Amino acid sequence: MRSPVLRQALLLVGLAFLPAIGQALFFRGNPGLSSRPPDPFEVSLAQEKSWGATVLWVDARPEEEYEKGHIPGALSLNEDDWNGLLPAVLAAWGPERKIVVYCSRKSCNASHGVAERLRNEAGLKNVYVLPGGWEEWEEDASR
Amino acid sequence: MRVVRLILSFLVGAVFIYAGVLKTLDPLRFASDISNYAMISWPLGVRVAFFLPWLEIICGLALIFQRLFAGAVALTAVMIVAFLFATIWARAHGIDVSCGCFGTVSSNLTLTWHLVLNLSLLLACGALWWLQRRRVR
Repeated sequence: MRSPVLRQALLLVGLAFLPAIGQALFFRGNPGLSSRPPDPFEVSLAQEKSWGATVLWVDARPEEEYEKGHIPGALSLNEDDWNGLLPAVLAAWGPERKIVVYCSRKSCNASHGVAERLRNEAGLKNVYVLPGGWEEWEEDASR
Repeated sequence: MRVVRLILSFLVGAVFIYAGVLKTLDPLRFASDISNYAMISWPLGVRVAFFLPWLEIICGLALIFQRLFAGAVALTAVMIVAFLFATIWARAHGIDVSCGCFGTVSSNLTLTWHLVLNLSLLLACGALWWLQRRRVR
């Protein structure tokens, strides 16, 4: 191998494999290795509907997406302007209310991030995530 | 110039070690972050999640201790470009992911800050590469 850079890079890759294999062996048998572990805070639309008017929707998508369209009554709360948007959510929240956070679609995780912050930083309870997001809600509404 | 090189190596190395250690603590969470980019399957994402953080740590250590230096700079730059590509690709496809670069710590990192951080690191890698070439000559 002529290039010392390539030789060094391959050596580093090889070195990284050793602890990685060790750690993977440590995790052997963990069900999360074969499929994504379910999130206990995820709810389905049917579940959300059964909660009725106590639900407070929180839209975790960027502001421009929210402006284009959102679930009626949903409040915008995203990482880009967390401090500016949080007071409105806190004002609308009450102990009897359940918060359901959503983002664009199943592949996004902004809703999980926002829900986590609402639980850990704002100290709110009953914060859930609609995994299918806006896409799922729109599909359901058009039926 | 030697001092600049040492400072830059330490800074980039420390960031990569920090990022790598945070992710090795919870590889399945990192696998979940990778999966959100919708680029690769879950089983492949899990493999990447076990390997990539260690590569970050090894490269970070190589930069700080000035061992296998050129290879570490090249690999670090390749990783940063890959992270940037994945972020831009996700945004272009309307996927609003948190980057996952620093485990749970980065869930509050906005896209702008993520891009600024990665571009700064890439710039630092470019400078390290240039300083290394200059030193060899």
